[in-house]
Amino acid sequence: MSMIRNNRRHKLVAYSLILPFVAIFALVFAYPVIEVIRLSFTDAPLIGSGDWVGLDNYKRLLSDRLFYTSLKNNGYFVLLTVVPTTVIALLIALAVNRLSGRMQALALVLFFTPYVLPVSVVTQIWAWMLDFQFGILQPVLEFFTGKPVPVFKNPFWVMPAVAVVTIWWTNGFNVLLFIAGLRNIPEELYEAAKLDGATSRQLFFRVTWPLLWPVTALVLTLQLILQLKIFDQVYLLSEGGPFNSSYVLLLMVYREAFQLNNGGYAAAISLVLFLIIVVVSVLQFQILRIGGRDK
Amino acid sequence: MKFKTLAQVSAIAAITGLGLPAFAQQTVTWWDFFAGGDGVRMKGLIDQFNAEHDDIQIEATTLEWGVPFYTKIRTSAAVGRGPDLMTYHLSRMPLGLSEGVLTPITAEDLEAGGIAEGDFFAGALDSAKGPDGQLYAVPFDIHSIVLYYNKSYLEGTRFLDDDGNLTGISSVADFEEALAAAKENGAESPVTYATGDDGGVFRVFYTLLSQQGGTLISDAGEVLPGDSAEKAVKAVEIMTKWHDEGWQPEQALYEASVALFTSGKSAFQLNGVWEVPTMNDLAANGDLGFEWGAVEVPQLMDSQTTWADSHAWAIPVQGDETMDPEKRAAVMQVIGWMEKHAIQWADAGHIPAYKPVAESEEFKVMEPNATYSTLASKATYDPRSEVAGVASPAYDAAQNIISPAIHGYLSAEDAVAQMKGELEGRMK
Repeated sequence: MSMIRNNRRHKLVAYSLILPFVAIFALVFAYPVIEVIRLSFTDAPLIGSGDWVGLDNYKRLLSDRLFYTSLKNNGYFVLLTVVPTTVIALLIALAVNRLSGRMQALALVLFFTPYVLPVSVVTQIWAWMLDFQFGILQPVLEFFTGKPVPVFKNPFWVMPAVAVVTIWWTNGFNVLLFIAGLRNIPEELYEAAKLDGATSRQLFFRVTWPLLWPVTALVLTLQLILQLKIFDQVYLLSEGGPFNSSYVLLLMVYREAFQLNNGGYAAAISLVLFLIIVVVSVLQFQILRIGGRDK
Repeated sequence: MKFKTLAQVSAIAAITGLGLPAFAQQTVTWWDFFAGGDGVRMKGLIDQFNAEHDDIQIEATTLEWGVPFYTKIRTSAAVGRGPDLMTYHLSRMPLGLSEGVLTPITAEDLEAGGIAEGDFFAGALDSAKGPDGQLYAVPFDIHSIVLYYNKSYLEGTRFLDDDGNLTGISSVADFEEALAAAKENGAESPVTYATGDDGGVFRVFYTLLSQQGGTLISDAGEVLPGDSAEKAVKAVEIMTKWHDEGWQPEQALYEASVALFTSGKSAFQLNGVWEVPTMNDLAANGDLGFEWGAVEVPQLMDSQTTWADSHAWAIPVQGDETMDPEKRAAVMQVIGWMEKHAIQWADAGHIPAYKPVAESEEFKVMEPNATYSTLASKATYDPRSEVAGVASPAYDAAQNIISPAIHGYLSAEDAVAQMKGELEGRMK
């Protein structure tokens, strides 16, 4: 009898402990998600409720050319950032790992500093450095291309330029993850391999790379999710232009909701983006895990 | 009930610390978007109003022009946390009405402000009305782009008359001849406007389109109907030619485009009347270094017209509540006072929409306003559409499509086709 009561009390304590989390989760995540889903089937404005329109928003989305342009640009941006930033972060982490003591701390601080900056500061810095009339990087561009380039106004330059800014900004965090991963690899493995006469090339591909794979997979997945959500840098640097060559899905959500007051349509776009992110990231993580098992 | 009101009023008085007489004191929360030379004049008007009125005090905040301003208005008005009085672009009225943020301005309201419908220019008044004929805003000014010129680059050409005023431009060919002459006389960018910004590109494009009799969006909601598309192509081609010849700055943002003219590197500037105070102030301080003038944009194409818009006063909805009638009367009193003191606003370059001021002797001798004020009667307003006007998809398209086209990234035909598609898409 007392056992049962004890058990019941046990459960009560457990529930009361998770209750605050569940309540907050329900309030700030579950409820908004359900609302977005409901909104996406209505013609609601930004504020207030609308009428049920069924699948109209989704039908409209599938015939909206801007949607496909944005989708393509999102994909292009992911290509430009995810793998490059992972490779760069790995290289930096390997180099920093060779340093020791104060020098290592200093190097880490240097690489991590941009990550601390707010996005508006980052974009201001780069907008000025690349400014068409006064930018200090324009002579560099002029050296390679023969003339100054209005990078955020040129359809070919705009996405790579935004990608460079993004990588510069967010790379520090990935470096940190890789450093943590590298420190987790036991020193004995390297010693044993060296005793067997392994070259430094073999050390990397036979020891470091496979043991670091879980971290690499994590970085790739985090980056994929993050870069699919690109908005701030594009909004602040190019506003989607020129002629939509940097228009991305979240910018479309913003314009529809806040500029054109189409809350329902904006909800439909954001829901589609949400589903794309879920599907792509789960798929990627699974593929990477399978890839990791072979090693 | 009475007790409650009394308690509220005294609580407000206590909070604001304004003391007696607590009953009559009204605080009018005011939001505007004037941050330039005209913002200084507006602040002067507000200070003067506050000094003259013990019973009404304006608490003004200046927010960022464009999408940020209008987004904030919409969200704050919907939940009743918006201002009591705000400035509004008449070109934005169609979207404002569909958003439901504007309250009707009734005949009693006007009376409370001591003004009447007949006091305003008909064009501006019509734009302030909804399709139902109901007034939703009180027009304050008419503003447009004008052609500023720097006399030093035109000396010795046929484009200055004996009094040193601009003359002899009545076609694109004339204007281009003047640009070429200015280039020869050493002008770095003979004509400057914000070639990389939405507003600068849109206003010049729209003026060139309207001068050909073209329509951007018809009242029936058709984008570039009939041969308007060809006329739009022509407008883009003219702007592209100015770029190709090196007559206009490349990818100039707004501030840079103004600086080119004020620093004497441009012979002409196509920009809004709101830069008149900048020029006046510079000239008064002796910092300008050249003589300047401003005229209505000349007839370059088939007819004489210019893009124009109006600043107006509007009272937003207060969420689910309605504004206290006494407060509303106070707000209308502010509007009426501002209209009657619009001569100080004219000092910021604008043409008053309030006829008693616009037709006063004081305004008729105000230069250069008096010279270009003729444009008011021939102006072409933005299309009456939810996708046109300040901070609209039409402005976005100017930056996103037309600006790249005049810089050579896109042909004029493609640009116009894209713009048409884009605006049609946004209208669904």
